[in-house]
Parts: sequence; structure tokens; C-alpha cells
Amino acid sequence: MQDTPALEISEPRVASAASPEWRAIFGRTLIRVTSLAVLALIVMQFLKTAGVTEMGFANWRPVAVALLAWSASLCLGMVLSRGQHGERAVFLLPAVLLTVAFVIFPTIYALFIAFNSWNLSAAAGRQFNGLDNYRQLLNDGGYWNAMKNMGYYVTAVLAQYVIAYLLAILLNQNIRGRKFFRVVFLLPFMLSPVAVSFMIGKSILNSQYGPIIPVLEALGFTNISFYEDPWLARLNIMMLDAWYSIPFMMVLLLAGLQAIPFEVLESAKIDGASSLQTFLHMIFPLMLPVSLTAIILRVIFELKLIDVVRVVTGGGPGSATDTISLFIYREGIQKTNVGYATALSQFYLLIIIIAITVVLWVANKWVEKVT
Amino acid sequence: MRSRILRQSANRRSVIKAATGAAAGLYAWGIPGKSYQRALAQESVIQQILAIPGAGAQPTESDMQRVGELVLEPTKANVQPGEFQGQQLTFLGLNNGGVHNLVFRPLSEAWQEYTGAQIEWIDLPQNEVFARVQQSIVSDTIDFDVLEGGAPWEGDILGQGLASAMPDWVATQVDVADYVKLLQPPVGTWDGTTYRLSIDADAHNFNYRSDVFANQDLAAEWSAAGGAQEWGVPQTWQQVQAVTQFLSGKQLDGEDLYGILDECAPWGGFGWYFFASRASAYAKHPDNSAWLFNPADMTPYVNNPAFVRAAQDVIDALPFEPSDQVNADGNRTWQEQFLAGIGSMLHWWGDVGSNVYTNDVSVVQDKVMFSILPGSDDVYNNESGEWDTLPTGPNFAPNEAYIGWGLYVMNRSEASGVNKAAWSLAAHLGGKDLGTWTAVYPSGFQPYRTSSFNEDLWATTGLPAEFVASYLASQADSYNHPNGAIEPRIPGIFQYYVAAEIELARAYAGEITAQEALDAAAAAWEQITDDIGRDSQIGLYQAALG
Repeated sequence: MQDTPALEISEPRVASAASPEWRAIFGRTLIRVTSLAVLALIVMQFLKTAGVTEMGFANWRPVAVALLAWSASLCLGMVLSRGQHGERAVFLLPAVLLTVAFVIFPTIYALFIAFNSWNLSAAAGRQFNGLDNYRQLLNDGGYWNAMKNMGYYVTAVLAQYVIAYLLAILLNQNIRGRKFFRVVFLLPFMLSPVAVSFMIGKSILNSQYGPIIPVLEALGFTNISFYEDPWLARLNIMMLDAWYSIPFMMVLLLAGLQAIPFEVLESAKIDGASSLQTFLHMIFPLMLPVSLTAIILRVIFELKLIDVVRVVTGGGPGSATDTISLFIYREGIQKTNVGYATALSQFYLLIIIIAITVVLWVANKWVEKVT
Repeated sequence: MRSRILRQSANRRSVIKAATGAAAGLYAWGIPGKSYQRALAQESVIQQILAIPGAGAQPTESDMQRVGELVLEPTKANVQPGEFQGQQLTFLGLNNGGVHNLVFRPLSEAWQEYTGAQIEWIDLPQNEVFARVQQSIVSDTIDFDVLEGGAPWEGDILGQGLASAMPDWVATQVDVADYVKLLQPPVGTWDGTTYRLSIDADAHNFNYRSDVFANQDLAAEWSAAGGAQEWGVPQTWQQVQAVTQFLSGKQLDGEDLYGILDECAPWGGFGWYFFASRASAYAKHPDNSAWLFNPADMTPYVNNPAFVRAAQDVIDALPFEPSDQVNADGNRTWQEQFLAGIGSMLHWWGDVGSNVYTNDVSVVQDKVMFSILPGSDDVYNNESGEWDTLPTGPNFAPNEAYIGWGLYVMNRSEASGVNKAAWSLAAHLGGKDLGTWTAVYPSGFQPYRTSSFNEDLWATTGLPAEFVASYLASQADSYNHPNGAIEPRIPGIFQYYVAAEIELARAYAGEITAQEALDAAAAAWEQITDDIGRDSQIGLYQAALG
């Protein structure tokens, strides 16, 4: 009988394996030198931009390239100086740097801009104006009108939730063509909101040549307009928004329904619970975490609403369908009032963060109580 | 309206269209039809291009390519074949309604082939183009060599020294002396240097349905209803209001009649012009060139009784206008409504006239005529704060809205070594012969050259002589009017317009009164002036007034 060779268990690679001393020194030196160099470039360019010195580049582009090169040297330096620890860090470093570059820095910069008067046509350029933008915001009727509209649009999410829930329940039944209907009901979600807004909002519902107009005229309606009355315009915007948003909620809720253990429902049936009782006392409570997730996500999406409104009504009639995003777009892009538009955005972000935090806290308490 | 489109019967336009289409088809097969044969036999390039495709048809892409090829001779005089080989130009322009850049593209193909240069096109909708340009300016990221821009932007572009001065050979090639008076300096210049190559002149004129105002049944009804004057084309805004109210609920040839078509929705600042056209006869006094601001301190006039009266006119007229008019922007009023047979009166740019016979959506051939904007029985005097009745009759003050599109070659082209190519392209697109072609056919531009006002040239296209005479007279009389309401070329002018049109839209929708809207607009204008710099704005405004 042949001897079975003993299993050789290889030692796991020790992550803390130290790199040779010369590599570590080189790596640290590389990081320090390139960091100092890029810092010097930033200071130089900043001083030139501020008009303090003449030395510098024509624009910030070379500094951006230098930052990219510094990022690469930072990665290399980490590997050289810290060995496998450095390798681990390198896996994270690109994501961290990108987050810093595209999220953290713009957010901090925007905080700074919000305290400035910056009209792009002003020869004087950006001017620090303290809290003036926020004072103006508090007295800006247009902004608060848009905020009120956001309240209407967010409230409409609850109606979307009810419809999505009903559809999810329907598609969770063992009905014929269930897979087909699941795909069909998802189709609106796959379409671009801009395309949907144009096709339905601007074309089909067009008060002059929309194909629906002859049908309504045949039914005796005259002077048909879907966007002339403020409430009708808002309602139509809500319906367009719902048309492509409901499938998103429906999919989440359907996934939640399918995750409910069959045994739970079966036991309820054996205990003699009616369908309504099963839904109210078993399914609905079990689905609360999914429901809250769906609603919170939709509310967050809804707070950013702009596409449908911009395409269909442009915020009109008057300002009846205006949204915060559209209002900020007009201030920042059309009126090129960058400082004020940034302050509006920052204030809105703050309100959203506070509102969502409070809602989540209350919702969690409620879910804990119910379940 | 729909039924009207569907049952398009044989009319002048369809006959002309069929004839020219057949001619073009025969020509394509090597059998030149009569009109093409005649055009090609003549030496004049302008007559050749005006025959392509001829009235009654909208130019196809190949038509425009052919036109671009025929107008290449002036370029050849200044540029060697393949001189710009390997050079790439970036052109930023509009993509409105299938015109502007979409016309420039085919018109430039022969130029590209001859010079060897390549063009990269940046297309933007009209209501976004200025914001895009301004962001490029501020962020120091001008990424275009040639800009299709408006004269009102010159404060932002030329004032900051961002454009390249026009070389003498370009001025000679395009014959700048041929520009209409409206486009002569100071327009296009800054500190005495010329930067702009014009491709358009702009003023709002008054487009009206001649069949409506010549209708005897309506005339009888008007008299029976106690109409203040004889039934006919309104001469004043007061008459426009009365006629709009009268036409409501009436029909002509089985179609509902409407009077004036107001543009009420914000349109990226361009919506201001429609209100300004409603207001200019009330607000622009012949004794005072300033009508938007007090030139001494930039105090806005926008909330004075003249502008409030104009806004109230729109509010009063809206119940008699088509449904959903409160949401109508400029594109809807002229294309979806007036050319489609809805409405009897429209204040718009000259594009309406050049599209009546040459745009496929038009159903109003033989039914449209033109005049300058209506006047007013009285005019507000900013100095005295009183309404004056002029001894000469109604006050007319055509709104020289936007002054016109032009091409601006940016300094960037000098740094990248494509400056001559950029100017050559601009000169090709703003060439003398092409200027008349773009005025006759849908292009987004209206007549901007004195030579384009030759009625005989227009007649060669097959357009009715009476129509041509009426159209050209409305344009010329607007451009050259002694009391024309000129808009100022000051930085940030579109910020003022955007702020005003937003407030006006709220008034039209009934959210606030006309006075409240214009008070809010005036407050916003004051803020904008302070943000940009009051002293510099005062100086530039005074300079713009001359």
C-alpha cells in the first residue's frame, strides 16, 4: 500500500509581511516628494488665480493632471513602503480618492460658494456675502411655492405605493400569464422619463393636436386642456410620474411578498383567517420593512423631480407645477446666479437630510412596535 | 386643424411643390426641368440658388448641399484647395426646429471638402445656448472656435475680450457694407473693433391672416357689433384687443377663429421679446431712446404704467385665445398654431414669413400678410409720468427683438492655429448670396442684407409678388423705423429677461396681478444690476443708447 503523502497545508500569506527597508524608504520618499510637489502646484495656482503672483498655469487643468499623477504615486508609494498592507490600501485608495474628488470636495466647495454672491456676468466675479443668500431664500416666494409643490408630489407617492402594492399582490397570485404581466408592468420603468413625458405629456395630451382630443370632443368636451388649470396640471404631472415610477415600487414589493415564508401563510389559513385578516395581520406587518424601503427610496427620487415637469409644463401654468430642482436650475443655469442657486441646493439638502432622518426614526419605532 | 391638414386640397403651394418636385426629379435623372434649366443657364449664382428648391417645397439636405457648393466661389478667392487640411473646428450653434446648425451642416459640406477642414458641431436648444456659453466663459473652458450668438450677448462676449477681430479679407468677402442699417456699428463692435459676422437681423413684425380681415361676413358682423373702426387689419394694440374679443367663438370655413396668439410661458429669456412687442408702443416714447431702464441710474422702467398695461392686455386677451395658451411658448405660437391655421394675428420674428410657403407644416398659403407691430393711441412718457397722445397719430415702436444672430470667432482659434479656417467658415455661412437664400427658405434667419430686399429676386422662387412685397416691407420698415425699440447690449441682459418672463408667467396664470409681477421683475432687475455692477451697467447702457 502506497503511503499517502501528508497533506501540506500552506501557511496563509501574512498580510503584514514587511517590505525590504530600501523599498519602504523609497516608497515613503516618493509619497512625501510628490505630495509636496502637488501641494506646491496647488498653492502656486491658487495664488495666481487670486492675482497674488504671476507664476502659474493658464488654467487648473495641469494641476488636475498633477493630482492624477500624485494619486498613482501614492498608490505605488503605499505598496513599496507598507508591503501587503499597502496593497490592501491600494484596493481602497481609488474609490477613496474618487469619493474625495467628486463628492467630498464639491460638497465642501459648494458650502463655501453658498456664502458668496456669484453672478456669472459680474465683472467683479465671486464676492463673499455672508448669509445674504440664506436671507434672500427665506423671503423667496418662488422657492417656497416650489417647496409646497414638492409636498404635493411627495404625498402622491403614497397613492403610488397603494397601486404598486395592489399590482404586486396581483402578480404574486398564481394567475395565467403571470410572467408576461410582470414584464409588461415593468416596461414603463425601462423607458426614459423624458421620452415618456414627451410622448404622453406633450404629444398625446397636447391640447391642439393630441390624438386624445378628438375622442374627448366626440364625448362632448370642449376647450380641452390638460395643463391650463393648476390642479389639473399638477395631477397630470403626478400621473405621468406615477406611470413610470409605480413599477419600481411594485418590483420591490413583489420581491418582499415572495420572500414571505409559505408556512406562515399556510398556518394562517389553517387557523381560519380570512384573506383580509391574513393581509392585515400577517402580510402587511411582515412587509413593513420592504414597504418603508420602497416608500423612502421613492420619496428620495421624488424630491429630485425635474425631468417630467421640465418637458411637459416647464413649471407652469405660472409656477403651479414648479419643483425645487427646476427652480434651482433656473437660478443657476438660466439666471447664472451660481452663489444663490448653491445656497438653495444646500438648504434643500439640509431639509431632506433632516426630514428623512426623522421619518426613518419614526418608521423604525413604528415597525418595532407593530412587529 | 387636423382635418385641415389631412384634406389639403390642391392649392397654389401644392401645385408649386409638385412642379418643383418634378423638376428636381427630372434634373436628378439628367433631364433638367424648365425652372432648373433656366436657373442654371443664368450666370447669377444668387438666382441659381434661389431656385433650389423653389417656393412650395422645403429644402432637402441634398438641396442645401448643392447650395453650399454653388456659393463656394468667394471662399476660393481667399483660400487655397486643402489649405486647412488636418484642421478641426468646433462650431457651437442651435438645433431649433430643424434649422440653424441643421442647415449649416449641409451648407458647409462643400466648404469642408474644398478646404480640407473638419467641423465638429455642438447643437443646443435655444433656451439653453446662452447659459452654456456663459458657463464656458466663466469656467475658462471655451471649447468652440465659432459661436452662433446673439447681439445682446456682446456685452458678455466682446466685453470680456473673448472673440477674435474680423480680418479685413473677411469684411471684403462678405461685404459688410451690405448689412441693413440695424446691423451697422455699434452692433457687432466693441471699442471700435468689429467682431461679428452677421447671418441674421431680427425684429418682431406683425403677421396676420389676410383672409380673415378681408372677409365680408365678418366685416358685417363687426359693424353690427358696433366695431369702433372699419373691419380690417388692426393698426393699434387697442384694436388688436377688440378684434381678439370679437373673433372669439366665430368660425371661418368651419374652423374656430381666434385673434392674437400670446406667448406666455418662460422660454429661457426669449419669452421676454413677445411681451416687449406688446409693450413697446406703450413704453417707447419717440422723445426718449431709453425704454427699459433709466440711463442715469439703471432704475428699471419695467413696472411703469406702460408695461403694466401691456401685461394686463395679455391677461385680458387670454380668455379669448385658444385653450392652454397660458402654457404656449414661442415655438408653439408660430409653428403649432399660426402656420397650422390657428389664430389670426401673431407678433413674431420674420421666420413666419419665410416659412409660409416653404415649410411642410404650413397650411396658410395665400392667407398671410405682414406689417410692422401695431402702435398705440397713446404712449407713456417716462419723464413726465403722463400718457401722451402724439399729434402725428398712434405711436409705433417696432421691437428690434434680439437684433439678430451672428457668428463670432473665438480667441481660442488663434491659439489652436485654426483662426483663418474659422473665419473662412464664418464667411462662407455669412456670404452675400447665401444671405438671401437663408432669408427665403426655412433657416432660422431673416433678411439682413440690403441686397436681400430685391423683390425681383424673391419672385424668381415662385413666391407671390404681393406676399413678398408685404413681407419685405414689414421687415425693412421695422429695421429702419425712427422709433425702433432697441435692446441694450449689456452684460447679463438675458438674466433680466429670464427674471421678467418668470414673473409675467405667474401673472398670466392668475397667481399675481400684472403690477405685482412687474414690481417683482423690477426688484429682480435691481438685484441683477447690483450683482453685475451698477456703475459699469450704467456706462454700457448709455453707450448702447448712443
